[in-house]
Amino acid sequence: MSYVMLAVGGLFLPLFPLSMLFNLLYARLRNPVLRATVLLAWPQIGLTIIFASGITVPGWLHTWAVLTSLLYGLRALVLREVSLWTSFVGTSAWALLWILYGNGASPVQMQLFSLGISAPLVMMAFLIAGLERRFGAAYLGLYGGLAHSLPRFTGVLVIVVLAVIATPMFPTFFAMLSMIIKSLPTTPVVAVGIGIVWLLWSWAGARLLQGLITGPQQLAVADLGQANTWLYVVVLAGLMLSGVYWMGTLP
Amino acid sequence: MTVALGQQLTIRSMIYVAAEPVPYFWPMRSFIHHNPLHGLEGLSFEQAVEKGAKLFHGQGYLPRDAYQQYLRDGRVDQERLGLEIERFLAQGTDIAGLDLRSVLMTLLTELDTPVMLPTSLASDADIQAALQARAIKDETIPSVMPETGTTEHLRNTLLGERPVYESVDALYGTDIGANLDELVIKSCLDFFDEGQSVWRMPNRECGFFAAWREVARRNVRLFLRGLHINDILSVDETPEGIIDYVMRTLQIPEEQWVGYFTRELARLHGWTGFIRWRATAKHYHWSNQYPGDLVDYMAVRLTLALALLSRSGRKRSMRTAETISNLIDTRPEEAYLRYELYSGAVLPAFAHRIETALLRGRDSAIEQVYADYIGQKRQHEARRQGERLRDLMVRTGSGETIDQLSLVDFAGVLTILRKFEKQEGMIWLRTMESHAMQHLLQNVTMTPDAIREKRPFAQALFCIDTRSERIRRQLEGIGDYQTFGIAGFFGVPVSFMELGKGSETHLCPVILTPKNVVLEMAMHGNQEQVALGALDKALHALKESVLTPFFTVEAIGLLFGLDMVGKTVAPRAYNHWRHRLHEQKPVTRMLLDKLTRKQADSIVRAVQRAVIVKALELELGQATENLNDELIRDLRESAMGHDESYLLYTTELGVSADKLTKFIERLRDGYRINPAFAQLQMEQLGRIGFTLDEQVRFVGTALRSIGLTDGFSRFVLLVGHGSSSENNPYESALDCGACGGNHGLVSARVLAQMANKPDVRHRLNDSGFQIPDDVCFVPALHNTTTDEISLYDLDLMPSSHLVYLDRLRKGLTAASRLCAQERLPTLRETQGEQGEPAAAQRFMDRNSLDWSQVRPEWGLSGNAYFVIGNRALTRQAKLNGRAFLHSYDYRLDKKGRLLENILTGPLVVGQWINMEHYFSTVDNERFGSGSKVYHNVAGRFGVMTGNLSDLRTGLPAQTVHERGAPYHQPLRLITVIEAPFKHACRAVEAVVSVKYLVRNGWIRLLVIDPESKSVFIYEDGDWHEQSLAREIISAYPKESIAS
Repeated sequence: MSYVMLAVGGLFLPLFPLSMLFNLLYARLRNPVLRATVLLAWPQIGLTIIFASGITVPGWLHTWAVLTSLLYGLRALVLREVSLWTSFVGTSAWALLWILYGNGASPVQMQLFSLGISAPLVMMAFLIAGLERRFGAAYLGLYGGLAHSLPRFTGVLVIVVLAVIATPMFPTFFAMLSMIIKSLPTTPVVAVGIGIVWLLWSWAGARLLQGLITGPQQLAVADLGQANTWLYVVVLAGLMLSGVYWMGTLP
Repeated sequence: MTVALGQQLTIRSMIYVAAEPVPYFWPMRSFIHHNPLHGLEGLSFEQAVEKGAKLFHGQGYLPRDAYQQYLRDGRVDQERLGLEIERFLAQGTDIAGLDLRSVLMTLLTELDTPVMLPTSLASDADIQAALQARAIKDETIPSVMPETGTTEHLRNTLLGERPVYESVDALYGTDIGANLDELVIKSCLDFFDEGQSVWRMPNRECGFFAAWREVARRNVRLFLRGLHINDILSVDETPEGIIDYVMRTLQIPEEQWVGYFTRELARLHGWTGFIRWRATAKHYHWSNQYPGDLVDYMAVRLTLALALLSRSGRKRSMRTAETISNLIDTRPEEAYLRYELYSGAVLPAFAHRIETALLRGRDSAIEQVYADYIGQKRQHEARRQGERLRDLMVRTGSGETIDQLSLVDFAGVLTILRKFEKQEGMIWLRTMESHAMQHLLQNVTMTPDAIREKRPFAQALFCIDTRSERIRRQLEGIGDYQTFGIAGFFGVPVSFMELGKGSETHLCPVILTPKNVVLEMAMHGNQEQVALGALDKALHALKESVLTPFFTVEAIGLLFGLDMVGKTVAPRAYNHWRHRLHEQKPVTRMLLDKLTRKQADSIVRAVQRAVIVKALELELGQATENLNDELIRDLRESAMGHDESYLLYTTELGVSADKLTKFIERLRDGYRINPAFAQLQMEQLGRIGFTLDEQVRFVGTALRSIGLTDGFSRFVLLVGHGSSSENNPYESALDCGACGGNHGLVSARVLAQMANKPDVRHRLNDSGFQIPDDVCFVPALHNTTTDEISLYDLDLMPSSHLVYLDRLRKGLTAASRLCAQERLPTLRETQGEQGEPAAAQRFMDRNSLDWSQVRPEWGLSGNAYFVIGNRALTRQAKLNGRAFLHSYDYRLDKKGRLLENILTGPLVVGQWINMEHYFSTVDNERFGSGSKVYHNVAGRFGVMTGNLSDLRTGLPAQTVHERGAPYHQPLRLITVIEAPFKHACRAVEAVVSVKYLVRNGWIRLLVIDPESKSVFIYEDGDWHEQSLAREIISAYPKESIAS
């Protein structure tokens, strides 16, 4: 039973190869609202299942989770399709939740961490929809220079990507820090693995921004509306403010 | 393998020819303005721009919205634009029912982006169908593209003269080209470094390729990157052999080698231009020490390219032109999709699908994606083009008309629009030039100066530089001053050896090579180095060392901090204080007179004697007090091979005969006391100075060329110019172009010293000049950054003149301040605010000392005119520093020789400056050098963007742009000659280079005939005459004269 529950958990807190199902599903979704729903709900379902079943995580699963995370971090590094980039980074991040779970994090804390990871991904999903609407696809290296043509959009995109790749004051940062601190005494190799994953995200994020915002302006398109910009700003500010709470949860 | 000599020479010749389109690039120390398309000046301007765009990937004209802004600003005349449109339409056929004039005018003035988009798949019929899409369905557009079209398109795009790695990059998304450029730049930086690096490349004296080869064979980093350089380098030792091997390995047909080389050279055209210039600069110290040419460069480049391709080919088996050709022939769909994806032309919606299909590699999937893709792309192109077209037609009220056109007429409209947009740049340019000509002609005055009753208080000869126009106008406005324009080297090509410097600097336009050397000599002997100067040098030594910076920062970092605060917070006060701490240059004179043979011989002997004394001390340990003149003389004679008397001194010197014989041999070989070297020294000394005849000729020609033969005033100022700025690698770009990118003061001092000599004055007066004895030629320097004019060599001024000096100084100060006041609004953020003259000059002074200032002055930005004629012609015209003004009086030049000289030197330099500004403005990234903010000095001879880039050759954005828009108005140089038409034509025809510049449209030439009061304008290969009456100028051409 526990292995069955582990497998079900591994589907929603994606572990390779079960993670392929999530990415396959996500790749087929075109509607941003559906994408956002999936990004928010998927890990929450996984957390609900594993807390409900009360399964014990075997030690090897930590390594497996880190390897899964590394794999998707690495894949995100070479991807040009931004929508898949989001799902891969999401997969990479959610897999690490197993480590928090294994280290005895409370259900509420786990759910909040998961929400903190999903929130910037959801914003990415909406931004990607904006790119698809304007250019036909969200794809790196085809149309650069967004900084010139869409300054507001670019500003929001940069901060959202920073939130995704766990830069300080965003919940993802504290989630990653918490995982490393908790793993370090017992499984230092896992902690190092998490650090490498973090590095890969940063690299992938920088590459994503480089492929979209730099370079000469190529197409004249409408920028993000002021109201939408404010909406993003408010959500991002909320996420940053929540960093105060997360700071207090650090061991 | 060794390549036959014939093949080696063939390769050398091919590279020589291939490099022709790439212009020279001079080191930054003496920035030379040049035309980036100089190598294409044999073509018409329009053709050259088209070819330059293909070769250098640069734009030849401004984007349309910039021209539209000029139209709104009133710098383009809409009526004239209409005439240009009509002239264009006169070449083709009408489309019934469509007002093409209105359509084209709307296109030019209302749409800010091109109407006609590049289409690779959509036909005219497709576009018409798309235009009518409201009535018909998309399915009517065929979705299959003929296969032959794909193959042919790909072959044309990917094969031929295109470097193989570029094609591989375009097909596989690799970065071979970028990696190659990076490795080549690093290699060039290592070899061509001129003292910036602390650890230098070994064996540089063997030449670029040989030195690089030795390093590359042992370069572990290249090996770790998987580049098997040794396999290639072991094939041949010569660069030609390597080039031959690589080209054959890449399977490039030999008939395409020249074109292939050109493409390779054009990729880093800055480095190519520098190496090309360096290889021909015989006087250039670094070139003599460390030779390197484009054959070496090509060998390095091709070796690395093949190594990178081989590494990439290990994964993809794609490393030669033949394999690319096979891919196109056997799998055209895959090749097409690859090209679309990695060249960035793909429809974004298809990008991921194509990428996935290519990664999976299944033929059926690729064919399916291909079929879907070209159908979609065809529709997309047609639809997009249709939308653009409809927008245009609706704006002109022709929406319905275009819908009703037959396919033939519709295709005709598309052809007209394509052709028109291709010629659009020239249309805007001609229109803008027409406006500029009109502006000039409206402001010139044909009335000559009245004969003066008394001589002016002072006369001043300024450089023709555009910045002199303002100060001349101000000086003339404040008092009894008469000014003239002459090339800033004052017609005297000088190779100058500055006090304390060991190398010669050419002070003349780079198209001339000076024959005479001028030495600067101190009046008071060598001065002791001030302690602060020594400290300065010690600090630099500490900074440049490999290890010392680690502790230098802790030890003395605070000093630098204080320096930084001073420079930033109070640049003016701090820098003035710092300059006072440094030692002042001593009073000097120019060694101008030719040495007699006897004098030269005496100098050589004196030097040899000094060397022998030193050698005796070093080699034989002899103290100076033990040596007498006779001994030294005999040793010298023996070393020179005149006798064997040295053997008499064995006892006196306390050495054996054998040792003394060896010492004599050492003197000959090591210390170069031998007849051959003495002869060489004699020849070098023979280059010093000018004969009296030469001095008379240079002074006479200079004065006659500007029409100054009588009416001399008491003071004749010879005003050279230079700039001063801090932290500015482009400082020399602001200096005098006619002095080879150096300050013009030395040239002024040279001419003044010559002209003040009594012998020269007598000879001049004998030859028709009327120069009174009290005339004093005074050298001066116009600092173009601050507009300050400083007088020099005042200690040579007769005491009788000193009473007038105060008035002169006050006049110059007033002119400087007024000039600064005039320029202030162009440099200050709060435009339009003029301020007080004194405050304006303080602001300019601060600008010149502020190390954070990216634009200390506008330099020659704005240049548009070159006027050769009497000052009366332009005195009343306020030309705002936009005109090169060369004084000229045709009445003193019956044979036209003086005019020919002006055309040959100053005009050509003016044209280079003009074209440099033109192209730096229209495409600052490719032809200019981008923003200064990212610049770094490379090897002490150039600048790069970031830490690694091509050498930036043109002008920085801050020189030609303001807030992202062009500050410099890009026009071809509008040249005006004031002379009888036939006289001017004869001179132009006699100077071949200028003749072709005019005929090919690189210069817009006007002749103002003061005798017939007519203007002759050269346009479209013919002269057009018109009266100077203002109202008809805008309507030229009126009358054509067979040329």
